[in-house]
Order: sequence, then structure tokens, then C-alpha cells
Amino acid sequence: MRLGVAGPVGTGKSSLIAILCRRLADELSLAVVTNDIYTDEDARFLRSAGVLDPERIRPVETGACPHTAIRDDVTANLLAVEDLEADFAPLDLVIVESGGDNLTATFSPALVDAQIFVLDVAGGGDVVRKGGPGIARADLLVVNKTDLGPYVGVDVERMVREGGAARDGRPVVALSRHDAASVDQLVGWVLGTLAGYRAGGHVAVDPGPMAPHFHADEEHPDGGFTHTHDEPAAGAHLDDAAHPDAVVGERA
Amino acid sequence: MAAAPAVGAAHVPSALLLTLLADARLPSGGHTQSGGLEPALRAGMRADAVADYARARLRTVTAVEAGTAVGARAVAAAGEDPGAEEAAWAARTPSAALRANARRLGRGQLRAARTLWPAAPGDGPDPLAHPDARTWSRPVVLGALAHRAGLDPWDLGRLVGYDDVQAVVAALLKLEPADPLETTGTVVALLPEIAALAARVAHLRHPEEIPTGAAPLMERWAEAHAVTTERLFSA
Repeated sequence: MRLGVAGPVGTGKSSLIAILCRRLADELSLAVVTNDIYTDEDARFLRSAGVLDPERIRPVETGACPHTAIRDDVTANLLAVEDLEADFAPLDLVIVESGGDNLTATFSPALVDAQIFVLDVAGGGDVVRKGGPGIARADLLVVNKTDLGPYVGVDVERMVREGGAARDGRPVVALSRHDAASVDQLVGWVLGTLAGYRAGGHVAVDPGPMAPHFHADEEHPDGGFTHTHDEPAAGAHLDDAAHPDAVVGERA
Repeated sequence: MAAAPAVGAAHVPSALLLTLLADARLPSGGHTQSGGLEPALRAGMRADAVADYARARLRTVTAVEAGTAVGARAVAAAGEDPGAEEAAWAARTPSAALRANARRLGRGQLRAARTLWPAAPGDGPDPLAHPDARTWSRPVVLGALAHRAGLDPWDLGRLVGYDDVQAVVAALLKLEPADPLETTGTVVALLPEIAALAARVAHLRHPEEIPTGAAPLMERWAEAHAVTTERLFSA
């Protein structure tokens, strides 16, 4: 399974990946692709964390376009993932870390099977209310660094609650690396999603960015229909009649 | 929605294919490239030398690439193996870092080409289905793609030249303060050079005819760049 980790700069994407590697490296065969904006800082951080064989962590240059590299043109990332999958076959989980970007940056389903969007309490409690495709429709929203809440004047409980409300019931994990129970929750979600993927029950969902829109249909009584991409069944949408040209990416 | 009338690839004007393939929105990994500009600036080249830099490339390394692509197209059209073109290109590209980068780009192009121009029954031998295709450099893949899609040799040379100049100029906007219209003016000023490059290679048929110009400084900068940790672009 290919798992994307996106979110703004400094919210703890690399740390989250380090946590996953530390917890899962014994039971799963893992690899990581990092998308560094200007340095290979993320790859070096992960390599120095000693949580994974450094050969299994590869940086990809994005030409200062982190958004493009995970969404509009995933070529460089796909090649890196394919190489890792070939070099370390069989891999259970390849994690792709996006370069820190704005709230609209989400992964294309051509690149990842599932994605986590990471925010942190230090970025402000109001960020969840700003919304956006990652917050609303990523497979998992992580509100990170909950231990910092008292220091930055953020009501963590409220932020998590509002995150859940913006997501229509999709899961939210309030994470602190100092809180073992929250780490268990994160790891449990990844393992559960992987199990679903292996059982064939998981379908890659594209969170957007896409506003509710109208499809003309002469046979429809109203001449067409409006729908959004945040319905719970959005994954099935890739196969339905609304977007017959939608393609889930090739798998080498 | 009514289906569009079926039109075979052969009926698409080459100029339209050139437009598609030269468009930065084509998802084939172009945004990772600076045409060697990032390491050149790092090595001390001045930003106001970018037009001369792009022109020097058109006359040397980009001429090699364009000639290789046109040669690979001719070979694909004849149903033959492009191994000699790949070898001729490699012999003219002494930097291992640049060879690795071009082969990586070739893989990206191949992925796009196989998806966008799948083989149809009755097409004859499909050059993109060659077992070694994943190891080919970008110009060899481009040549096979050009044959498959119906891009003529003139437009293929224009594509390679234009893409290189735009890669350099677009990267400048990320690396140095510059006015985007001024840098586009640089591209406009170089269009005659690009046309001249296309004319130079359009009739090429054999690997020994591929231009042999080299740019040793660019090669050296590319080698340094490959082991640099702080970089925006792959090459």
C-alpha cells in the first residue's frame, strides 16, 4: 500500500513518519519517499532517526513545486516508489511525504492509496475551521503536538471536535508523540487501513480540491445533477457514471 | 454526452502534437528539471547570462539530444532497434549524472507515452513495447513516441529545443529574482535558434550523423550537482 502524508510546513509530518517506522519496522517491510522543497532535510532527518535502513529512504526533487509533485504531475514520485518497490520487494507499505504546502495540497489517487493530512495545534485552533480538501476528506486527519495546547493557547479538545465536524465522521487522531495512547491510535489506523487494502475493501479516495459541481444529463429530470466529492461513498464514484473518464493510476 | 467522432492518430496534425508535448502541463516530470541552470548559477554563472547559456546548450548538448531523438524516430519508423542511437547518445554524454537523469526522464516519458498512445491492432511493431524501453534515455523514448504519435522530424527537433530553453528559463524564475515576461522574451529571442536546430537535425537518419558538440563545464557542474544536498531541481 502507498500512503501519503501531507500538511503544512512544520506540522510534524516527518516526526509522524518516524513514529510509524519505529513502531512498524519490525512487523512490516517499509520504505519512504520524501519531497524536499529545497534540501533533503526530511530524508536526512529520517535517516538520522535510525528508524529505517537509510537505503529505504529516498528524496525526490520537486523543482520548487511540491504541490505539482503530488498532484498534477506525480511522475518523479511514482518512479521513486516503483524503484523502492523493485529494490526491496516485497514491500508492505511505502510512505510518501509531501513537501510542506498549503491547505489545498492533497495527493492524487494515481500516486497513493490512502492519505493522512497533518495539522498541529501550534498552527492555531482556527485552521480546522478554514477547511480544505485535506482537512475535510483525507482518509485520516491528524491534529499533532496536542501536548503544546496550553503553551499556544489552543483548546485542543475543541480543535479536534471541530476537525471531526468538518470531516463528516471521517477519523481524526489527536496525536502527541509523548502520549502512548495517541500513538497506538495512529498505528492502529494505519494497520487497519492496510488490512482493508489487502482485503480489497479499500478504495483510493481523491479529497479534491474540487467544489460541488453540476453534471449535465439529458435523461435526468432536472437536466443534470449536482454532487460533491466529499460523500462517504466518494471512492465508488471513480467507477460510477458521473466521471467515466476518471482513472485510478496504474500500478507497476 | 455524445462520443467524439473517432479520429486516428495519423489524422492529428503534427503541430498539434507538438503543442501537447511541449506543454508544461504534460505530466512527465518536467518540473524537476532546470536544464543545468541551478548548478550553473551555483558555480557562479551570472543570471543575466541565461540567454547565452541557453544558446550554448542549443548548439551543443541539446543538439545531441535533438539529433538522437530524430534518429530514434527514423529507426522506429523502420521497425528497427534503437540500440545504436542510445549508444551514440551515451557516447556524446560523458557525465554519468546527466545520463542517469536523462534515463530517468525517459522512464517518465515512456509511462506517459504508453498511456496516451497505446498500441492498437494493425499498428505494426510498437517501439514503446521494446523490452529495453525502460532503460532508454529521454531522446530515444521521444523518438519512438514521435513515430507512434505522428510527430514529424521537424516538430520533434523543435520540441527538444523549445523544451530545453523553457526548462532553463522557467527554472530561472525559481532561482533568481526575474520578471516572467522578460524571461519569456528570452525564449522568443531564441526561437530562430530553435528553428535552426530543428533544420540541422531533421534529415538525420544514422547514429553517426548525430551532432557531437559537448559542453564540458555543464557536464562538470552536473556532476557536482548530483552530490549536492540542497537543490531545487534534479538536474
